[in-house]
Amino acid sequence: MASLSEDGSPPGSPASDGSGTMPSPGRVDGSPAIARRQSEDGVDAGNDDEDEEPEEEGEEIAPREDDDDEEDEDDEEEEITGHRRKRRRERRNQFLDVEAEVDEDEDENEDDEDELNELKDNFIADTHPDDLADLPVGGQTDDRRHRELDRRREMEASMDAEKQAEILRQRYARNRTGRALGDSAVVPKRLLLPSVDDPSIWAVRCKEGKEREAVFAIMKRIEERMGTKEELAITSAFERGGTQSTMKGFIYVEAQRQADIMVALTDLMNVYPRTKMMLVEIKEMPDLLRVTKTPALEPGAYVRLKRPPKYAGDLAQVIDVTDTGLELRVRFVPRLDYGLHEDVNAPTDAFGAKRKRPVAGPRPPQRLFSEVEARKRHSKLLGGGTAGAKSWNYAGDEYVNGYCEKEVKLQTLIVKDVNPTLEEVTRFASGAEDGTENLDLNALAASLKASTANASYLPGDIIEVYEGEQKGVMGKAISVQADIVTMAVSEGDLKGQTIEVPVKGLRKRFRNGDHVKVIGGSRFRDEVGMVVKISEDRVTLLSDHGNTEITVFSKDLREASDSGGSGSLGKFELWDLVQLDPSTVACIVKVDRESLVVLDQNNQTRTVMPSQISNKLEKRRHAVATDRNGNEIRLDETVKENGGEARSGKIIHIHRAYLFLRNPSQNENAGVFVTRTTAVSSVAAKGAVTASTGPDLTSMNPAMKRNPATGGDMPPPKSFGRDRSIGQTVTIRKGPYKGLLGIVKEANETDARVELHTKNKTVNISKNDLAFKDKLTGQEFNPNSRGGFGGGRGGATPRGRGGLGSATPGGWDGGRTPGAGGGVERTPAWGARTPAVANGGRTPAWKSSGDNAGGRTPGWADGSRTVNPYDGSRTSYGGGNRTPAWSSGAKTPAYGMSDAFAAGSKTPGYGGGSNDTWGAKTPAYQQPTSNDNWGSNQQQSNNGWGAGSYDAPTPGVNMSAPTPAAMNAPTPGAYSAPTPAPYNAPTPAAAPTPAPGWGGGGGGGWGAPTPQAMDAPTPGAQQGYYAAPTPGAYGAMPETPAANWQDDNQPRYTDN
Amino acid sequence: MFFVLSLTHQVTLHPSYFGRNMHELVTGKLLKDVEGTCTGRYFIITIMDTVDISEGRILPGSGLAEFTVHYRAVVWRPFKGETVDAIVTSVNAVGFFADAGPLPLFVSSHLIPTDIKFDPNATPPQFTNNEDSVIEVGTHVRVKLIGTRAEVGGMYAIASIREDYLGSPANALPDVYKAGHEQLD
Repeated sequence: MASLSEDGSPPGSPASDGSGTMPSPGRVDGSPAIARRQSEDGVDAGNDDEDEEPEEEGEEIAPREDDDDEEDEDDEEEEITGHRRKRRRERRNQFLDVEAEVDEDEDENEDDEDELNELKDNFIADTHPDDLADLPVGGQTDDRRHRELDRRREMEASMDAEKQAEILRQRYARNRTGRALGDSAVVPKRLLLPSVDDPSIWAVRCKEGKEREAVFAIMKRIEERMGTKEELAITSAFERGGTQSTMKGFIYVEAQRQADIMVALTDLMNVYPRTKMMLVEIKEMPDLLRVTKTPALEPGAYVRLKRPPKYAGDLAQVIDVTDTGLELRVRFVPRLDYGLHEDVNAPTDAFGAKRKRPVAGPRPPQRLFSEVEARKRHSKLLGGGTAGAKSWNYAGDEYVNGYCEKEVKLQTLIVKDVNPTLEEVTRFASGAEDGTENLDLNALAASLKASTANASYLPGDIIEVYEGEQKGVMGKAISVQADIVTMAVSEGDLKGQTIEVPVKGLRKRFRNGDHVKVIGGSRFRDEVGMVVKISEDRVTLLSDHGNTEITVFSKDLREASDSGGSGSLGKFELWDLVQLDPSTVACIVKVDRESLVVLDQNNQTRTVMPSQISNKLEKRRHAVATDRNGNEIRLDETVKENGGEARSGKIIHIHRAYLFLRNPSQNENAGVFVTRTTAVSSVAAKGAVTASTGPDLTSMNPAMKRNPATGGDMPPPKSFGRDRSIGQTVTIRKGPYKGLLGIVKEANETDARVELHTKNKTVNISKNDLAFKDKLTGQEFNPNSRGGFGGGRGGATPRGRGGLGSATPGGWDGGRTPGAGGGVERTPAWGARTPAVANGGRTPAWKSSGDNAGGRTPGWADGSRTVNPYDGSRTSYGGGNRTPAWSSGAKTPAYGMSDAFAAGSKTPGYGGGSNDTWGAKTPAYQQPTSNDNWGSNQQQSNNGWGAGSYDAPTPGVNMSAPTPAAMNAPTPGAYSAPTPAPYNAPTPAAAPTPAPGWGGGGGGGWGAPTPQAMDAPTPGAQQGYYAAPTPGAYGAMPETPAANWQDDNQPRYTDN
Repeated sequence: MFFVLSLTHQVTLHPSYFGRNMHELVTGKLLKDVEGTCTGRYFIITIMDTVDISEGRILPGSGLAEFTVHYRAVVWRPFKGETVDAIVTSVNAVGFFADAGPLPLFVSSHLIPTDIKFDPNATPPQFTNNEDSVIEVGTHVRVKLIGTRAEVGGMYAIASIREDYLGSPANALPDVYKAGHEQLD
C-alpha cells in the first residue's frame, strides 16, 4: 500500500495517518476491515505452525499472517506452492526451519516429486510419511509401502492422460480456491475490500482543524467505557484532515448502525453528529484510507515557505528535521528593511508596543542579514547570538551567517514541486566563510528530481537513462505518456529496440557544440547558445547574445532550431535606446524574462523593469554628430576612442553628445559601451557611406564605362593665380559657424580659412558653405561668376558715381547676360552674339536705362553712359566669353583666333552697335564722361580705361582667360581710336564676320571700328590668357591700369 | 572541407547592358554576386567556370533580364570535428575568438586545456601555460570545430583546443616536427 499522506506528515509518525481507535499503532495503513477483524480475534500469527487444520481454515486466518509484508502478486502462484510445501516440510521436521527455507529454491526440480506426493496424499489415507517413519520397522510400514508401490504402479499404468489431466485440474482447482480465499501470504486486495456485510462508514461534520482532537477524544471515550455496559458500538474512527486535504472538516466513523455513532459522539467537543451525517459508499471506502507518502525531508533539501506572507514562495533549505518530522529547522535569505519603512506614527497599544500593520508596498528584496544595517535603527532589537560572532538575534529571529534560521511546521512549507532555480540555490551556496562555493549538488539534485516529472520531454529529444537497470542507454524519445517515455535506443547493445523508461531516471542528452535553447524555469529562459561544457546534468552554454556563459540543467534545455532568442521583452529589444528619465537615456544590453539590463549614458549598468522605462527612443537613421576632428559621424560607422582604452566600435546610437558603440568582440554589456562624440575619431573612409536606392545606373551602363576619360561633367574652369576669394568678406552658410561673418584668409580649390569677426578664430570651411558678400553693400555675389562679379562691381561703380542706383544695374548686368550666354553650350560665338544683342547689349544698358527710371537712366542721362555701354559690352562679353571659357576645347571660339575675334570683335562692336547712337557715342563720350566722373580719380590716359578699368577688373577678378581678353579688347579698342590703328590691319579679316551681325544691329558705321578694336585684344589674348597681357599688349597706354588690376582688384575697389 | 560544387544562380541584368557582351557581363555579375558569400552551410570561395548561361528572360514590370547561370565553384564547408587553423582576433577571460578564413569561431575557456590559463595582466591579455604556449591576439592556432551555427550571411563556430596537437604552434606540432625544428635552429 502506498505512500504520501495528504496531510503532509511523513510516514512512521503515528499521527501522520488517520489516527483511529485501532489498538495497534503499527497498523496504520490497513483497511477498515482489517482493523475490525483484528479487534475481533487477536490470534497470534505464531499459531500457524501448530495449525493442523485443512487449508480451508487457513483462509480464515489469512489476514493474520500477512503482517504488512507486501508480496508481489506476480509471484503468487509460486508463493502458494512454496508456502504449501513449507508447511508440509514443517510437519516433517518442525525444528529445521532453515532447511525448509533453503529448499524453496529447488522447487522447480521437485515439482514431479511433489506431484507424486500430492497424488499419494490424495489417494491414500492420511498417515504422514514422517509419522510412518516413526513406526517400528516392518509391520505397517512394510505393508504400506508395498501397497503404496503397487498402487502407484497400477495407477500409472491405468491412468491415461485424460485422467491425469483431470487429477491435475482437480488439484489445481482446489488450490485455486484456496488461493482465492487467501492463502497466508497474499490476499488479493479486492477480497479484503469492504462488502455490504461490513460496518458502514459515516462522515461526521467536525470543526475544521480539530479533526484529530476529535478522534483522540473518541479514543479516550472508548477506553473509558471499555467493559462497561455503555461500551461504544463503533468499530473505528479516523480523520483525514490537513490544510490541503479535501476531507478536512469531517471525521469518519465506522459502525454497524448510525445510531451507534450518535451515541458514541454525543457531547463530544467539536463534533457535530446531529448535522447530516454522510454515509460513505462502499466503493469509496478504500479511498478514504489511501495514503500518499510525504517525500522524506532530509537536511539539505530545499523547500518553499508559505508563511509568513513576506517570505511566501521563497526558497528555504532544511537544516534539521525533528524526530517526528513535523517540525523542521530551515534557513532562508531574509527580506529585511531594518525599519526603513517603519510607520513611526503607528498607534501604540497599552504595552507601548506598536501595533503591527501590514506593510504596504513591495516586500524588501532578499538580502543576507547585515548587522551594520540592523544597528542603524534597531540596535535595541539586535542581540548577540549564541553560536559565535556570525550569529545574531534580531527582532525575534535568529540569523546565522546572514541567513535567517527558523523552526517551522511542516504545514507551512511547500515540499512538492519546489523546483529551485540555480540562481536561488546559489544564494545558499556562497555561505562558506572562505568564499568557496559549497553548493550541495546532491541535495539540489534530489530536490530537482522530485520535479523531473514536470520536465518536458518531447518526442524527438535525445535522452539518456542515468539510473536503474538501463543506465547508460541513449536514444531518442518517441512518445511520452504521463511519466513513461518510449525511446528508440540509438547506441549500444539495445540499438534499434524501443524501450519504455520512467521519466525520473532520464535526462536530456547534449553534446558539446549543440545549439540549444533554454526552456525551463530558470531566468535564462529563451536564451539560445552553443554548448561548451557538460558535467553531469549541468550544461554550460555560450549565449548567442553577448558572449556570456550560462549554466543550466539539461532538463531546461532543448535543441534549438532557430538561431536566436527573441531578445526582446515587450516592445524592448536588445540594443534599443530607451529613456529612463528626462535626463537619462540608456541602451539595453541584456533582456531577461522580466527585467532589462541597461547601460546608461554615464556608463553605468543597471537593471530596470520595463515599467521603469519612460519610453523607447526610435533610432534616428540620419542622426549626425561630429567627432573630435570635426568630421561627420553617422550610425553604423566605426569610430575609435582617442585616449582611454582606445576602444573601437560601431555606432549604434547617437544621442546628443553621447555615442553608444558596439564592439562584438567585447563581452561585457553585450559589447556595448558609451562615449562622448568628442572623445572619438572616425576611422571610416569619408564619403564611403552612400545610401543608394535602386540600381546605380551610371555604374551599370556600359556606355558610360566605355570611355571613362571623357566621363562626367565638364570640369569647372580652371582658375589661375591668386584665389579670388581671398580677402573677401563672407558669411558662413552651414555648419557650426553658420551665420558668422568673416574674411577669407587663405583658400584652395575647395576650402577656405575664414577669420571670423566674432571670435578671434580662424576656421576651415568648405567654400561651398560660404556666401561672399560685398564689403560695402553687403550684397551677395559669386566670386566665380563673372556676371555676378560684374554685378558686384556694377553695384560699386554707380555708387562711386553717386548718381546710379547701385542694385539695379548690378543685378541686370550680372544676372542676365551670362545666363543667356552660358546656357548655350555650343554656340559660343553665337551665344555671345545673341545675348549680346538681345539681352546683354541691350537689356542692361538700354532697357534699364532707357525704359526704366531705374538706377541707370540717370547714369545715362548724366553722361555716365560711358559706363553703361561698357557695362553692356562687358556684359555681352561676359556672356560671350564665358561660354568658351567653360567649354575648354574646340568650343573656345572666343579664344580661337578667328572665331574669338569674331565674337570678340562683335561684342564690343555690338555694345556699340546695339546702342546705335550710343555705341558711337560711347567711345566718344567716354572720354569726356570718364573725365567728368573719374577725372579726379584716374589719370587721363586711363580715361578710357576708367570705364575700361572697370572692365578690366571683371576679367581680373574672374581670372578666367577669355574674359579679360575679350574685355580688354573692346575697351581699348573702343576708346582709343588711335590705338587700334596698328591693329587694324588684322581686323579686316575678322571684320567681315561681325559685319553682318551688326548690319542687323544697324551699327554699320560703328562696326568697323569695333572689330578693329577687337582684333587688337585678341592677339593679346592669344598670347596669354591673362587679362594682364592683353591690355598690356594693347596699350602702351593702358598698361598702368592693367598692371593695377593684375596686382589686386580689391584695393582698387576699395579705393573706389 | 573544400568541395567543388555545381551550383546555379539567377543573375538579373539591367537593360542598359543588353548587347553583344552580355554574357561577359552576366559572368561578371555572377562573380560579384556570389563569390565570397556564405549560404549558411558553406562559403563560396571562388567560381571556377560557368557551365551554362540560359537565355535571358525579361522580368515583367522591371525590364531587367534574368539569366539562370550554372557554374562550378569551390566551396568550403566547416564540419563539426574538423580541424582548422585560425588567427586569434580577441582574447578575454571566457575564451578567445579567432578567424578561420571567413569563419569566426570562439574557443571557450572550458575548451582550453586546464594548464593554459587566462592572464589578464599580460599586454595584450593572453592565455598561457607560462611555458611555450601563448595565445594572444594574432596568434596562429589550430582548433577543432565542435559546433557550427548558421547566421544571416555568415557562419559561426565553437571550437576546442583541448586535445593533442591543438592550440598554439608549440602544441600544434607533433614532437617529431618540434625536434626537427630544433635541429634546424
